[in-house]
Amino acid sequence: MSRYLLLLLLNLPFIFAAILSIITQYKLNKISSRRLIVQIILWVIVLAGLVFALPIYEWLFSNNLTVSEPLSLFDVVQITAIVVVFYVVNRTRAKIDTLERRLRDLHQELSIRLSDK
Amino acid sequence: MSSDKKRVCIVIPGYNEGLVIQDVVKDILKTLKKTTYTYEVVVVNDGSKDNTTDEARKGGATVIDHILNSGAGGATATGLRYAEKKGYDIAATMDADGQHSANDVIKGIDIVSSSGTDLLIGSRLINSDGMSKVKILGNKGLSVITYLLFGINSTDSQSGLRVFSRQSLERLRWKTSGYEFCSEMLWRAKQINLSIDEYPIKAIYTEYSKAKGQNNWNAINIIKSLLKRRIAELLG
Repeated sequence: MSRYLLLLLLNLPFIFAAILSIITQYKLNKISSRRLIVQIILWVIVLAGLVFALPIYEWLFSNNLTVSEPLSLFDVVQITAIVVVFYVVNRTRAKIDTLERRLRDLHQELSIRLSDK
Repeated sequence: MSSDKKRVCIVIPGYNEGLVIQDVVKDILKTLKKTTYTYEVVVVNDGSKDNTTDEARKGGATVIDHILNSGAGGATATGLRYAEKKGYDIAATMDADGQHSANDVIKGIDIVSSSGTDLLIGSRLINSDGMSKVKILGNKGLSVITYLLFGINSTDSQSGLRVFSRQSLERLRWKTSGYEFCSEMLWRAKQINLSIDEYPIKAIYTEYSKAKGQNNWNAINIIKSLLKRRIAELLG
């Protein structure tokens, strides 16, 4: 199996999971349309980078813009790890944002209610 | 409803202000008594370690105690949320260290009451007599940063004296909890098309307020936080 195909197969589930999660959150009114658009653009860029990795490399090489070796197995592992970390960081950021907002609202509400007693 | 019967809430966020808070509350209450507004003074004690709560109560204020210290932005948000829930027509925020004159607060309330402005900023820099050059530089610098990041032209983006209409109380929300909320609040107000205006106020600098006030190094933290917020917003 081509290493470029392996790279794509390993990363596709994360990219689709991320896009699906973003669309679901938007449909449930949990995120703004702006966040939906920005996030989808980011993931489409990642997807395009992986799908066109071979033609991009060949173009760069033929124009003397890179002298690096073609994709190695270690590169596949490294790129996959970066995509996974990107996915996890994005999910974590969204969760922290939600938690922060809920904690702030709770603190505010609790303080006001206690002052009424 | 005629303007002189409007219900007004004065919000004073405070952290470790036990030394001066009683006088600040008494002063604003004394001035409010001379007006025809129905009023309440609310001190939001932001997790102080001293006797801020007791002193504010002795002065005659309603006290909301924050269980945790959450910063000036968080304490101001709590106070304004209280004003919104209690149905006040106008709310004003002022500093707890005594740097704002009660007359300036009433003047701002009168302006909002008559003009219908949604967010009125008391600017110390329209007439900055008596203010140190370092403070002028710091505040002007932050106003420039606020303009560059958010496109809001304010002479004193960091002023703690602000007056809010009912509409502002219901719609204006911000995310930051530190001092950077001053700039973010203006940005959010612009995003939801609230009318923003300024009026000149005089800052009273005592030895106490000079010691308690923000130094210019804190401006770096504020800028960092505003940049972070701006980038986060760009990324959705």
